[in-house]
Amino acid sequence: MSLLEIKNLHVSVVGKEILKGVDLTINAGEVHAIMGPNGTGKSTLSNVIAGREGYEVTQGSVTFDGKDVFAMAADERARAGIFLAFQYPVEIPGVTTSAFLKTAINAKRRAEGKTEIDAMEFLKLVKAKTKALGMADDMIKRMLNVGFSGGEKKRAEVLQMTLLEPKLAILDETDSGLDIDALKIVSEGVNALRAPTRGFLVITHYQRLLDYIVPDFVHVLAGGKVVASGGKELAKELEATGYAKYQGAAA
Amino acid sequence: MKSPGILDHAFGAAYAKRLGGLPGAATTALDALRQRARVTLGTDGLPGPKLEEWRFTPLRGLAKIPFIPAASAEDIEVSDVPLSVPKIAGAARIVLVNGVYRPDLSDQDFSGVSVSPLSTKNVDGRELLGHLATPSAAPLVALNTAYMAEGIALHVHGAAKPIHLVSIGASGAEPAAFHPRVLIVAEANSSLTLIETHVGLPGQPYFSNPVTEIVLGSGAAVRRYVEVAEDADAFHLATTAVAVAENATFEAFHLGLGGALVRQETHVAFAGTDATVKLHGAYALSGKSHHDFTTVIDHHVPSCKSNQIFKGVVADDAHGVYQGRIHVARDAQKTDARQLHKALFLNRGPKVDCKPELEIYADDVQCAHGAATGEIDPDHLFYLLSRGIDPERARNLLVEGFLADAVNEISDETVRDVFVGQIAGWLKKRGVQS
Repeated sequence: MSLLEIKNLHVSVVGKEILKGVDLTINAGEVHAIMGPNGTGKSTLSNVIAGREGYEVTQGSVTFDGKDVFAMAADERARAGIFLAFQYPVEIPGVTTSAFLKTAINAKRRAEGKTEIDAMEFLKLVKAKTKALGMADDMIKRMLNVGFSGGEKKRAEVLQMTLLEPKLAILDETDSGLDIDALKIVSEGVNALRAPTRGFLVITHYQRLLDYIVPDFVHVLAGGKVVASGGKELAKELEATGYAKYQGAAA
Repeated sequence: MKSPGILDHAFGAAYAKRLGGLPGAATTALDALRQRARVTLGTDGLPGPKLEEWRFTPLRGLAKIPFIPAASAEDIEVSDVPLSVPKIAGAARIVLVNGVYRPDLSDQDFSGVSVSPLSTKNVDGRELLGHLATPSAAPLVALNTAYMAEGIALHVHGAAKPIHLVSIGASGAEPAAFHPRVLIVAEANSSLTLIETHVGLPGQPYFSNPVTEIVLGSGAAVRRYVEVAEDADAFHLATTAVAVAENATFEAFHLGLGGALVRQETHVAFAGTDATVKLHGAYALSGKSHHDFTTVIDHHVPSCKSNQIFKGVVADDAHGVYQGRIHVARDAQKTDARQLHKALFLNRGPKVDCKPELEIYADDVQCAHGAATGEIDPDHLFYLLSRGIDPERARNLLVEGFLADAVNEISDETVRDVFVGQIAGWLKKRGVQS
C-alpha cells in the first residue's frame, strides 16, 4: 500500500480551478520533489493535503495510509501522521513555543493511547533536538515564531517535524528566505529524519535545495498538472533549461 | 425635582429602616458619614442611562429588583468558603460574607499589617475614610457609604505578609444587597500584596457594592489583584479610589470572569512626583455577562508614570466595556501615561464598547492610547490544527495567548499562575466553540 496516493485531483479556489488532475504516488521511504513555476498550484497541493480551509476539491481523491484524507479534519490528518512545514510560519503572540510544542506532542501521544509527556522528559527531549538544529536553548521560552528570523522560523518547523515524527512530511518552499548556512542546517535536520517508514514531499521553486535534500523522484507541476516526472537528474535539467517548455506543454 | 439622569430604586428610606442598628453606630464619625451619604443618595439617586459615565452600563435591571439589606435577612447561612476560591500559598485569608467580617472563616496570622473591622473602636487611620471615595463624586460610593454595614481596615507598617480577601455574596428568599468597605493605609516604604476573590452562591440575585480606598505613603508599594467571578445572576459594582504619594508604586490587576452586571471603576490620583501606577485587567465573558472597566487617572504632579493594558474575550451575548480617562494637568510635565484595550470576539453575538479619553494640558508629556477588536485568526488556528491539536484546545491556547499580554503584567508569580489557572478553568467550563 502506498503512503500517499493522489488521483486525478482537481481543486478550485474561489471558483477558479488551480489543480487540474494531479496524479502522484509516494511510498514510504521515498523523497519526492515537486518543482514548477510560481502560481502553478504547488502550495495549493500542500495546503489541500494538510486540510487548510478555502479549497474546494471538485474531483479526484487523496488517500493516506489507505484512508480518505478528505474525510478527516486537519487536526486528525496531523495526528494520523501528515506534517506540513509552512512556507510562512505564522507568528502567534502570547503562546509560548514550549506550551505549543507540549500541547502538540501530547495530542499525538493521546491519539496513540500513550500518557502525556512529563515536564522533565519534555525539556530533555527538546534540549537535545534544539541543539542538533543549532538553536538557542531559550528559544522555547519565546512566543511562537514571534520575532524569529527567517532561518529561525524554518528551523523551528524542522524542530516540530523532528518532535512529531510524521509518516509524511510536506516541505512547502522550505528554502525560501534561507541563506546558505541556514539551508544546510535545515537540510541536515530533514535528512536526519529520512527513514524507510517515512515519505517526503519537497516543494520548491529552485534546484538549490535538492543539492542538500537529494530526492528519489522529481516531478514538474505546471498548469495545474504533473507534466513530467523523472529522477534527480530532472532537477538539474530544469536548472539549465528553465520551465518554459513545460509551461507551453501545459497550456 | 428629579433630573432625567436618575433612576428610581429600592435603596430609599424603607431599605434604611430594615437595616436597623448598623455595627459601629456608636462611633459618631462613622455614623455621621452614613447620614451625610444618605442625604446625597436621596438627591442624586442611582445613575440613569443619560449619565455619560454610565451609558454603556445601564442600571435599569438592577433598579427594578426589590433588594433588601443582606444584614436584615435571617435565612442566609454561609458556613464554608466555596471550593472555586483559589488557595493562595503564603497569604493570610480574610473572609467577608455579605460584606461582614467572619473571623471564624478567616486566618489570624498577619504580619506587617494590622487588620481591624471598621466598627472597632480605635481603627488606625479611620479618619481617612471617605476622603478618597467621596459620596458626592460617585453615586455608587454614596450608596456604599450610606449603608456600609461593616468592612475592614488594613494598616500596613512594613513588609506585610500577603493578604487574600475573599468576599462571598449570598441571598436568601429575597434578593440581598451589601456594601463592603475596605480602607488600606500603607505607611511610607511599606509594602503589601493583596489578592481579592469575589464569588457568590447561586440563588436569588445579590448585589455587591464594594468601595475600597487605598492611600500609599511615600515609597510604599501596594499590589492588588482582584478576581471577580460572581454568580451568573449577580450584580457587582465596585469603586476603588487610590492616592499615590511620591516614589510609591501601585500595581493592580483585575480579572473579570462573570456576573450579570459587573463594573470595576478605579480612580487614581497622583499626590507626589516619581510615582508609578500599573493598572491592568482582563475579562473573559460568556452567556449574558456584562463587565465594565472604568478608569480615571489624574496626573496632577510631574514625572509620574501610568500604564494600563486591558484585554477581553467575549462570547455568546456578553458585553465588555472599557472607558479610560487620563487627565494630565498643566503642571504635570514629564508625565508618561499609556492605555491599551483589545477585545477578542469568539462569535458574532457579543458586544464591546471602548471609550478612551485623554485630556492633556501639559506640553512635555508622553501619552498613548490604543484600541482594537478582532476574531481568532484562521491562519493561527490552522497552524495549531496542522500540528494535531484539536480545535477546542487550539482555540483555548489562542484565547489564553491573547489574554497573556495583560496577565503577564502581574509581577507576583504565584498570583499570575493562579489567575492563568482561573482563566483556563473558565475556558474548560465553557468548552469554547464556534
